[in-house]
Amino acid sequence: MELLRKINWSFVLLCFVVMLCSSFTNSKSILKKVKKEISKVFVIEDFDLDPVIIEQNKNLFSDFSNNRLLKISIENKLLGYAYLGTAPSKTETFEYLVLFDNNFIIKKAKVLLYRESWGGEIGSNRWLKQFVQKDTTHEFKYRENISAISGATISVKSMTNAINQLLSSLSFLIQKKIL
Amino acid sequence: MKNLLLLIFILSISSAVFGQYNSSERQLLSLQSMASGLTIGGYGEITYNDPDSGVSEIDVQRLVMLFAYKFDDRVSFITEIEFEHVKEVYVEQAFLNYGVSDNFNLRGGLMLVPMGIVNEYHEPTTYNGVERPSLNNKLVPTTWREMGLGVYGRINSASIRYQAYVMNGFISYNGEYKLKGTNGLRSGRQKGAESVGSNANFASRIDYYGLLGLKLGLSFYNGKTQTTDKNIIGSQVGLSMFGFDARYVKNRFSARSEYISASLSDTDKYNLASGKDLGSKMSGYYIEGAFNLLPSSAKQKLDAFVRYEDFDTHAEVAGNLTKNDSFHRKETTFGFSYHLADGAVFKIDWQSKGTAVLDSESKGQFNMGIGVFF
Repeated sequence: MELLRKINWSFVLLCFVVMLCSSFTNSKSILKKVKKEISKVFVIEDFDLDPVIIEQNKNLFSDFSNNRLLKISIENKLLGYAYLGTAPSKTETFEYLVLFDNNFIIKKAKVLLYRESWGGEIGSNRWLKQFVQKDTTHEFKYRENISAISGATISVKSMTNAINQLLSSLSFLIQKKIL
Repeated sequence: MKNLLLLIFILSISSAVFGQYNSSERQLLSLQSMASGLTIGGYGEITYNDPDSGVSEIDVQRLVMLFAYKFDDRVSFITEIEFEHVKEVYVEQAFLNYGVSDNFNLRGGLMLVPMGIVNEYHEPTTYNGVERPSLNNKLVPTTWREMGLGVYGRINSASIRYQAYVMNGFISYNGEYKLKGTNGLRSGRQKGAESVGSNANFASRIDYYGLLGLKLGLSFYNGKTQTTDKNIIGSQVGLSMFGFDARYVKNRFSARSEYISASLSDTDKYNLASGKDLGSKMSGYYIEGAFNLLPSSAKQKLDAFVRYEDFDTHAEVAGNLTKNDSFHRKETTFGFSYHLADGAVFKIDWQSKGTAVLDSESKGQFNMGIGVFF
């Protein structure tokens, strides 16, 4: 029992040490995370990121303001696209990233910043893999071709919905030859 | 106005720090602009219980208001204020969360003990049945919360959530002896109210969700109960609790199970001092399956479910105590959860509650309830 108490107190101490150390190291910015992810997925070091300017209209269910859609290229050769979205969780919002190749096939979906204590399971790499390799004509359906996660229902539905909206918006833009 | 000034301040800092980025990149940075403020939520249960023998009861069982205040992207405070049976007020949770990094948080305050499924996810829309599983009343004393401090986080690459806290424990003696055979530790909950802290306890849990549709959990709790007088022999018992749980969802089918095993030491001394009948081992499980009768494309959900529970708060006894077979419960619950919308449910079920007592008859009960979670 004495040993357990000692372990407990050293645990508390450890918590404080970690807290102190961490307050000097800043958490990574969203942009840094985006760049890191692009490097990893496209296996490239240096690349250009340019905003794609799109005028919002009623056929677009996703938000394209604030340079959310970015073109990824190296020396003017188009490699793909990155979309940065914000979607609701239960009482908060989370930031996610979808990477496409130059034919708008999803290469990667990632949760960049999840703020709420509950529902963060959607950040699981394994779960997010379900979105990969699909093109803009695809529709994801909760509990049919997208698995549920117990304890994260709201966020699972929200992320599924957000990606469906993005695909349908991109599909419209491709059809209208805007992209 | 304050928020606007804060935003301008942040933007000016980010442009100074991230000066090497171009305009579009800089704009991206504003995505992480701190949103701060208050969010309000809550949950509630209104229940009707009608046992075959005895008086039926209609009750606003719980009404819980949730307030979360976010100071910035790292620091938030979460509290739940509970009204039980309309007239009793409790604080169910009240903790400060400090997000050190994406996958590491520090937490302190009044927190839920991470044991099993229902203690952490106890809102009425998250489980089937009007009443929580009986195991989560007598074995895991839901809602079990205590004062504590520790770490919480997720590792996305491994699909793992972890929690580890140093917490205050159950009280076994404060002038009177609190723990007893029929519901084990339940009466020893301190709920953070002028609680006695004589010994630190340790609570931890790991969730794994790397297999699609499946979520597995391992919980471990270890420590000693609290006493106002350590000199009294038998005023404290040691406690070591272990839990394994699984949840599975595939299309319209869902299932879950919790297994809990708790070992208590020095219960012979405790029982001798108190005249109580606390068991030295409590263990059991429940298993539940459900099927949604509506197409999964429908907005509403109508789950038909059946649950079987088998648990014993006298799985083992120490000293001169004889086992009480009526503490070995075997219960079956069958019913429907009609989810009118995400967060609003109408429930109806029938229960058969039996024990291991030889030739004993099971008691039936009909339940109906309304649950909300927002």
